[in-house]
This record gives sequence, structure tokens and C-alpha cells, in this order.
Amino acid sequence: MTDQRKLWVPPTLGRRQLIVGAGAVGAAGLLAACGGDDDTASVNTTAPSGTTAATEPPGTTAPGAPATTAPGVTETTVPAGGIKSGGTLRVGVVGSTNDLMDAQYIVARADQARLITGWEPISNYDDNFNIAYNNSLAEEIEAVAPDQYVVRLKQGVEFHNGKTVGADDLIYSFNRLIDPELGIAPNLTQFIDANSFTKLDDRTVQIDLLKPSVAFLYGMADYGATIVPVDYARFAGDPATQIGTGAFKLKSFTPGSESVHTRFENYWGESYLDEVQIIDFADQSALVNALSSGDIDVAIDVPYAQAGSIESSGELTLLESQAGNWQTITMRVDMAPFDDVRVRQAMRLISNREEMVQRVLSGHGRVGNDMYGVLDGSYPKDFPQREQDIEAAKALLKDAGQENLEIELFAPDDTAGLPEYATAFAEQAKAAGINVTATVLDGGTYWGDQYTQRVFATSYWSTRPYLNQVGAGSLPTATYPETHWPPAGSNFVELYDQAIAEVDTDKRNELIREMQRQEYEEGGNIISYFQNLIDGHATYVKGAVARPNLINFDHFGRGWKNIWLDL
Amino acid sequence: MGIFKLIIRRLLLGVATLFVVSIAVFLLTNVLGDPVKRMLGRGALPDVVTARRAELNLDEPIVNRYFTWLKGLLTGEPGVSYTNGTPVWELLSDRVKNSLFLMALSSAISIPLSLFIGGYTALRRDGWADRVMSNQLLVLAAMPEFVVGAFLTVIFATNIWHIVPAVSRIRPGESPWSDLDGMILPVATLVLAVTPHVGRTMRAAMIEVLESDYVEMARLKGLPERSVLWRHAFPNALGPTLQVIALNIAYLAGGVVIVESLFNFRGLGIALRDAIPEANAPVVQFIAMFIATIYVISNLMADLFTIIVTPRLRTRLQ
Repeated sequence: MTDQRKLWVPPTLGRRQLIVGAGAVGAAGLLAACGGDDDTASVNTTAPSGTTAATEPPGTTAPGAPATTAPGVTETTVPAGGIKSGGTLRVGVVGSTNDLMDAQYIVARADQARLITGWEPISNYDDNFNIAYNNSLAEEIEAVAPDQYVVRLKQGVEFHNGKTVGADDLIYSFNRLIDPELGIAPNLTQFIDANSFTKLDDRTVQIDLLKPSVAFLYGMADYGATIVPVDYARFAGDPATQIGTGAFKLKSFTPGSESVHTRFENYWGESYLDEVQIIDFADQSALVNALSSGDIDVAIDVPYAQAGSIESSGELTLLESQAGNWQTITMRVDMAPFDDVRVRQAMRLISNREEMVQRVLSGHGRVGNDMYGVLDGSYPKDFPQREQDIEAAKALLKDAGQENLEIELFAPDDTAGLPEYATAFAEQAKAAGINVTATVLDGGTYWGDQYTQRVFATSYWSTRPYLNQVGAGSLPTATYPETHWPPAGSNFVELYDQAIAEVDTDKRNELIREMQRQEYEEGGNIISYFQNLIDGHATYVKGAVARPNLINFDHFGRGWKNIWLDL
Repeated sequence: MGIFKLIIRRLLLGVATLFVVSIAVFLLTNVLGDPVKRMLGRGALPDVVTARRAELNLDEPIVNRYFTWLKGLLTGEPGVSYTNGTPVWELLSDRVKNSLFLMALSSAISIPLSLFIGGYTALRRDGWADRVMSNQLLVLAAMPEFVVGAFLTVIFATNIWHIVPAVSRIRPGESPWSDLDGMILPVATLVLAVTPHVGRTMRAAMIEVLESDYVEMARLKGLPERSVLWRHAFPNALGPTLQVIALNIAYLAGGVVIVESLFNFRGLGIALRDAIPEANAPVVQFIAMFIATIYVISNLMADLFTIIVTPRLRTRLQ
């Protein structure tokens, strides 16, 4: 739970164990939501009756990449001279003395960068969000049944200490995720416990779930579902304890200052750099200044307002990836005035989404349609785009007897975008004759005891497949039930339970579709936009590709192995 | 009463002050919030919370915890950061060095500079030099540090010239003087921030002294002007100014969060800012006690110097 409050430049990520802890690994619905009508962007519709064949054999190149390049490096980034090896990459990221290092847990973005540098997950997503194994440690995962999976690890992968990655490590890694002492992914205990694992041979483990979940397969592709060696423990002063399988191994780490990672010679894949330094910055302005003055090579997460200054420099360039991250205004569906569906509908009609993208994101994003899971194949692209309609909103408010509504909308000061979103919404609401007051609280107070209790508030999420996000935020058992969805009398929970156990893709998608329809028409989220991820880097830094991504800087160059310096 | 007796008495008083401060700091850091709840998150099981509290000795009575902490502080074991398990001294030792160096360098430049400006403008009171400088000092004093710092960055590091680094680049384990280039902008910003206050105090004090009876007497006696200024006026004006300098030194040691942020300088100010919202009590306590110690020492020094330079007070001791 971070709260890196800045005096005048708030960071964007942080808070509530965001990506690893909260939802992605652990959430009630591990990643799920397969298939969809859409063919290209759909998540692989691997029903748990078959086997998810590796979409790419380990170590080979990504489709379209020349044979000499690393996975993920596209032709456009490789000059005539080919890839150059060697050199030190200096990466700047906003961090603090609260930084931690754990192979399976993060609080802030700096922690995320370090996790991805040192450790690799069981499986991973490819560019189309299908399950793949090119950036991960499994050779294959067989979905035997919705409650039974068999994971076979790649042969001969070495940890940084020379030990071979085996079945015992995989079992230890899972048990560590659900260790109540660590609290990394408490919600995962619904699906697995200490007796869920059977070692079939040195690199094969059978997992029997406590209850069926088609989503489990996708959870193993989360970047936090990493494999650590038996007896691994969180950093507590000694870099030698931080053993992973990543292309770079830890040399030193001082929270709030920097970590240094050196090339791991026995890495199972390819890598080019000699050393990676991940340097902490106290705020985003200093980060951008350091990039401009040449003191770092890569700046992770550039503020939207400063993207222009990087773009206009000849020596620097932006890496902008469409992402599914979203910010939301949350209305509690169980409390007045939002227990009346008409008031919720009116609020959603007040938001001028185009204006939000311009004002809040300086144009670096896409309009939202009050639905999440935009990178998931099941995303309902055919639902009509909701537009601002003040007259309709007024009529709905009048019907509900709330035409003179006065209400306070809360936002935290530690998350860039949310105060701006709340303020812009409050202004737009004036046109509908209601009085919304935007109140910005300090992050510590905002995410404290009253978080998820406020009637009208704001929040932010990274992107997850639909069913996974439902488990994290839209069920009575959700980790963060911000809107307290579903309303009384709804069959939403039954639909979820059916969907998560449904092996037939078409049938599951029908169930998902109905859930989405309910949220679209009556839900408590006002999702006006999806944010892009923006990083800045010197032009000589090569190997990062702008593509739909869950994580900054092309997934941190998948632990920097794809990155090289054209000096 | 001799000067040594006075020093010892003031030292004892300083220790007593720090003892009272330590109680206040300890009590206040205990109401920052529950670190365990923050560490484990909302979904933590009750018995896990209990176990973690026991691990951190939070289940013991507060008086016991206070003395355990005080003992650790005095024996060089100030505890472990709640957020990442790093020993506090390991986390902060570089920052202590960096902050002290930043303080020393900024003071070494700003103190003589401000004394000179203050004295000079007082002597040429209402002349053009005084008007220009006094106005400039007022403008600088009114400008927030981050504006000054951002201006300097834009001019000298990023947009116009690239002659100094935009950020400090002291690596962990390295001494702060290994990156003197990187010190230029933070030190310049702090000098510009501190000099107006001290300079204006010095000017006011000097003017008061120059109008005093004893300076007039000295002049009437026919003492050379140089002697009037250096033997009679300057030492007496220094007294009140030293008190302001002491306050500024304590501020430079730990209160310069904005300047540290702007230049990514790894000092104690940022560490304190990071630690408070996380209820990271061991870190907050250490830094608070450090700043309090600097404060006590700089005030002690200021008092002693005041006595030494002020003839009136000096003679009273003998």
C-alpha cells in the first residue's frame, strides 16, 4: 500500500498492491474471459478440455521478426548493422525509500520494474493476449478440466545461483502466493491450498483446484505469478538472496536510490546489455529533467503534460502504448442517491468523454464506454458509444426527484488524473443543474478506512480480462467493491459463477455478454477513458516496441532482455 | 562563570532538550497510524495481524517500547524500516552524509555572502547599491524554492544550456563530493533561498548597531572607521544574525524536501516525506531525532558564538 505523496507532482501508480496483490494473481476471478466474437484481439479460446499448445516454442522469434532478433524485437528497430551487445542501461522511475523487492509482490511502479527484471512468470500473454510461453518458464500448460491443470516447465532453465528450475520450486512459488503471513494474493486461497499440488516428475506439476475456474489458466500468465527457488524470501538487505531466472541478476539495491542488475550469463534466452541500473526519482519532473539532460536513458511513465517536450527533442523519443488502464468515478449502487438506477444513468450521460480525454490525459488515451476489460476479446465493442446528453440526464434526474442534487465527489491527491477527472466532471454536471463538489483528499486518508465506503468517489485500475476484473471489483466478495455492485435482486453473481466454470466458449461468452449488458445499462462505474502508457527514452535505446501493453516500456523490455544500445 | 562551565551547562541543557524531544517524537509517531494494517492490506487475517504486531514488538506496553527504541538509537541500532525490512541505518546512512554535505556547502557559501551583503547594504543605506540589493533580496525571498530551482534547471541544465547536470547523481555508497557537478544546482537554489533571510537580518541588525550610542561614541573618540566597523559594529550585529543562521542550518539539514525532489538529491527530507504517510515509525523517528540534534547543536553554537563575538556578553562571563 503505497502512498507516495508528492508535494506538487503526484505519481500515477501505487496504492493497494495494485497489480500483483490485488487482482491479477489473486483475484476472485483469476484472469478469465475467453473468446469473443472478435477474432483478432480475442484471448485464446482455450477451453479447459484441451491443451493450450505453446503459440511459440521457447527461444524462437516473434512472428515477423528476422531470425537474428530477439523475441519481441521487430524489424523496424533493427538497423543494417544488426543488434549491438554490451553497455549499461540507466532507467529512471519514480520510487521512494519505501521501495521493496519481492519476486511476487509490488506496491509501486519501481517495485514492478525490479520484479520484472529479476523474475519470470509461469506463462505469458502474446501481443494478442493469447497464452504463450516465449517470455515465461512453462513449456506447456495442459488444462485437463476446469479444476485440473498440468504445468510442465521448460527443461534446463537455471536460477541465478545455478540451480535448475524444477517442480518443487513451482509448488513453493504457488504456496508462497497464498501464504497468509505474506498476504500476497489472499483471494487465491479460494482456488488452491497446500494440498492442491502433485509433483508428477522433476518438471511437471498437477494442480487440482478447490473449485472450477477457467480463469486460472490466465492467472498463471500474470507477471506476478513468478517462479522463485524453494526458500526464497523478500529482500532484507542482502542482494545475494534475490535469486530469480531473469536475464539480469541483482548486484545491489538501496531503496529510494537505485538497484543494479548485471547480465546473467546462463540465461535461457538471449540478452544484450551488460548492466541495467534502475534509478529512483523522487518525482516525475526530476525524472523528465534527467532524461532531457542525458543523465538517464529511459524515463518510465512520463506525465502527459510533459510528453510534448520529449517529443520535440531530436535526441529523445516517446514510447506510447495503448493500454487498457482505466480511471473511474464510482457510485455506490446500494446507497442514496445512486440506489436509484435513473440517477446512475443520468450521471453517465453527464460525462463529456472527448473532453475528458483532452483535459485529463492531454489527448493520450481513448474514450471509454463505462465498460472495462478493453483488451479482452469479449469487450462489447458493439454496445453503442455513450455520449453526453444533458437533456436526457436532466429528465432522468427529474423522474428520480433529484433535479437539485448536491453531492460531494472524492479524489485522492496521489494519483495523477483523478483530481482532474473529478473537477472536470463537477464542471460538466453544472449543465445538468446539479451541484457536484470535487473534494481532493491526501492519499493516505483517501485509501484508508473510508476507501470503498464513500458514496461518490474515484478510482483507477490496470487492465484485466472481464471475468477477472469482476472478481476484483464487481462482486460482493470482491477485493475492492467500490460500487457495491451488483444491486439487490440481480442474478449477476449466479451468472459469474456459471461463467467461471463454463468450459464451452460460446456458452461462456453468452453469460459474459449478459453480465456486461447489466453493467452497461445499470452499473455504478463512469468510465470516461482508457489511458495510454507513455515512457520516454533516448533514441539510441532500441528494442522496445509500441504495442497494446499491460506494463510500461513494452513490459520493461520483458525484463530488459529485448533492449540494446545503438551507440 | 567561565566559558567552559557555560558550555557544559548548555550541553546538558541540550541533552535534556533532546530527551524531551525523543518522548514527543515517539508518542507522535505512534499516532501516525497502524503500520501493520498498511503492510498487510485490508484483507489480512486477524491472527496474521496479531503475529506481525508481535514481531514488531507492537504488542508491548508503550513505555517498554520507548526505552527499547531509545536504547537502540543510542547504541546505533535504530530499527528496521516497516515498508521493506531494510535496517534504518543502512537505508539512511548515505542520506545523512548527503544532507550534511548539502547543509555544509550551502552554509559555507550563503553565510559569508549574506553577512557581506547585509553589512554592505547597511553601510550604504538608502544608496543605490542598497536599494538594488535590498529589492533583489526581497524578490528572492518571496520566490518559492521550486520556482528558483526550476528556473535554474531550465536555464543551465535542460533547455537553454546543458552545462550542469539536472539531477544529483550520487551513487549509493559513494561520498557526496564524488558528484560536485551534481551539487551545483541544489546548492545554488538553497543559497538563493537562505541568503535573503540572513542578509536582511544582518542588514537590520547592522543598521541598528550603527545608530547605537556606542558606535557614535567610538566615532566621536576619533577611532578610525575601519576599527569602528570591525571592532564595535560588526560583532554586535552578528549576535541576532547568528540566531537566524542557526535556524537556517537546521532547515538545510532536513527541511529541504522540495529542493531534494527537484534535483533528485538523496537527502533526509525526501526520506521523511516518504516515511510519514506509510506510518514507517522507525524511519520517521530517526530522521526527526537527527534534525532535532542538528537544531540543538546549531543553536548551541550560535549562542556560544554570540557570546564570544559580543563584547557586552563576553565581559559578563569573566
